[in-house]
Amino acid sequence: MIKQQPGDPVAELKQVTKTFGGKRAVDQVSFTIHRGSITAILGPNGAGKSTAISMMLGLASPSEGEVLLLGQNPRSLEVRQQIGAMLQEVSVMDGLRTREVIQLIRGYYPNPLPMDEIVRLSGLTPEELKQWAVKMSGGQKRKLIFALAIAGNPELLFFDEPTVGLDTTARRTFWNTAKQLAERGKTILFTTHYLQEADDIAERVLLFNQGRVIADGDPKDIKARLTRRALSFISDQKPESIRELLPHTLGITDLFVEDGRIHIVTDDTDGTLSVLYREGVGMRDIRIEQGSLDEAFSQLTTELEEAN
Amino acid sequence: MNNWRLIRLQCRFELLRMVRNPYYIFWSLTMPIAFYVIFTRLVTGTDAMDAGIWQAHYLMSMTVFSVMGTAIMNLGIPLVQERAQGWAIYMRVTPLPGSVYFIAKMFVQTVMHLLSIIVIFTAGYLINGVSMAMWQWLSSGLWILLASAPFLAIGALIGLMKRVETASGVSNGMYLGLALTGGLWFPMEAMPSFMQAIGQWMPSYHFGSGAWAITRAEAPGWEHIVVLTGYFAVFMLLSTYIRKKQQAA
Repeated sequence: MIKQQPGDPVAELKQVTKTFGGKRAVDQVSFTIHRGSITAILGPNGAGKSTAISMMLGLASPSEGEVLLLGQNPRSLEVRQQIGAMLQEVSVMDGLRTREVIQLIRGYYPNPLPMDEIVRLSGLTPEELKQWAVKMSGGQKRKLIFALAIAGNPELLFFDEPTVGLDTTARRTFWNTAKQLAERGKTILFTTHYLQEADDIAERVLLFNQGRVIADGDPKDIKARLTRRALSFISDQKPESIRELLPHTLGITDLFVEDGRIHIVTDDTDGTLSVLYREGVGMRDIRIEQGSLDEAFSQLTTELEEAN
Repeated sequence: MNNWRLIRLQCRFELLRMVRNPYYIFWSLTMPIAFYVIFTRLVTGTDAMDAGIWQAHYLMSMTVFSVMGTAIMNLGIPLVQERAQGWAIYMRVTPLPGSVYFIAKMFVQTVMHLLSIIVIFTAGYLINGVSMAMWQWLSSGLWILLASAPFLAIGALIGLMKRVETASGVSNGMYLGLALTGGLWFPMEAMPSFMQAIGQWMPSYHFGSGAWAITRAEAPGWEHIVVLTGYFAVFMLLSTYIRKKQQAA
């Protein structure tokens, strides 16, 4: 048995690179996932998210660097007894009913969850449990794949694009259950290209782009770092004279008039406001606007494309 | 010790899948028995053989035909399916050792072969009252069980294919081609000489010949054992080589 304390590293990537035919799908990536955390690997399609997950699951070997799960090689039996995964594009074997598939997979683990608990957490109905597993619809199959991921009562859960193809209700149910698992001390690592999901669910976001981690931290911090904040107000003063009052240190990127309001785009809305007050600029109806993570995300991707 | 529990679990579920597989029931049991009825009751055998000998001979042909089909089709096609649908990859994430997965597949395969032998032998006894000494029944059954190994190796080779459609087409083609050229449907003696020349080198011919010899109270000839072992070795080497190449890619 691998004994661990909360906060211990459960997954470590050290300078990991994966090359496919000369192209670097994952490029010099390092990070550590701590026990009991919920982490999102966020990025556009082809950013290297699934490749990173594959290496953590031992399905692919890194071309360079090292991947450790629970301090061991991901392929080791002890590790596999403590992880669960929802992979993309998994269809179950034929000739078995849903309940039987769950029973089979449960049986592989030394300390599985009780059957009724798997059923409750996955939300599979008694009718669905009796159905042939291969005959289930897309949404039902996702529930089954989730049931299989948690069947072994694993410490570390990998969800690769878990909510693709689910409707809003099913998506909310899924994340509520995931949060319950996290409250029990499970470590959850998921990939998504739904920015809202990463923002809502994760305590930490690893932002992937073109095989690299380009940002790593609290979703709020990442947002603050990435999003354009704007300050707008109505004023009788001329925009040019206001511009002259603001020092470079505030990181003003734009100042313009729209719909009779003066807009100032800046890294530091608080600092800008205090300067404007100090200078006695008359302002009415002050608003601070923040772009969504979605906007930040597309902005960031565009910036990177332009840089290349 | 823990692996014993896993082997039992995996075998139990694989058996469940087997009995629910309609293709197995049709191709491996119904078809050979139907052929047996047609060629021993409706169409009388070749004049060269007496009826009793022909009925025992053709019973062996059909049992060999059935087991060969199960070996090629029921191993290879599901392997391709499980990989194409992502199931095989998922299994690598679970703690089930690959060896247990393989053992369970081989176990179920053996059970199917044994079931085919018992069912078709019984059908021969019931339909034509085929009578042989107990040692002949047992040793022909054992021969068919053991000599199916090269065909399991063909199944494993087909199991390496990428697409289910290709695997299905190739295995059907091989199955029927081997049955025809090996003299399982019509005796070799009844075929044109060029077909006989080809048939002599077919594994299916040597598979059948061993069982036919036993019905004549003879031991299977060494040449059959040598040829079948040779085919087995070649197919195993080939699939090992291809798998290595696929993993490297």
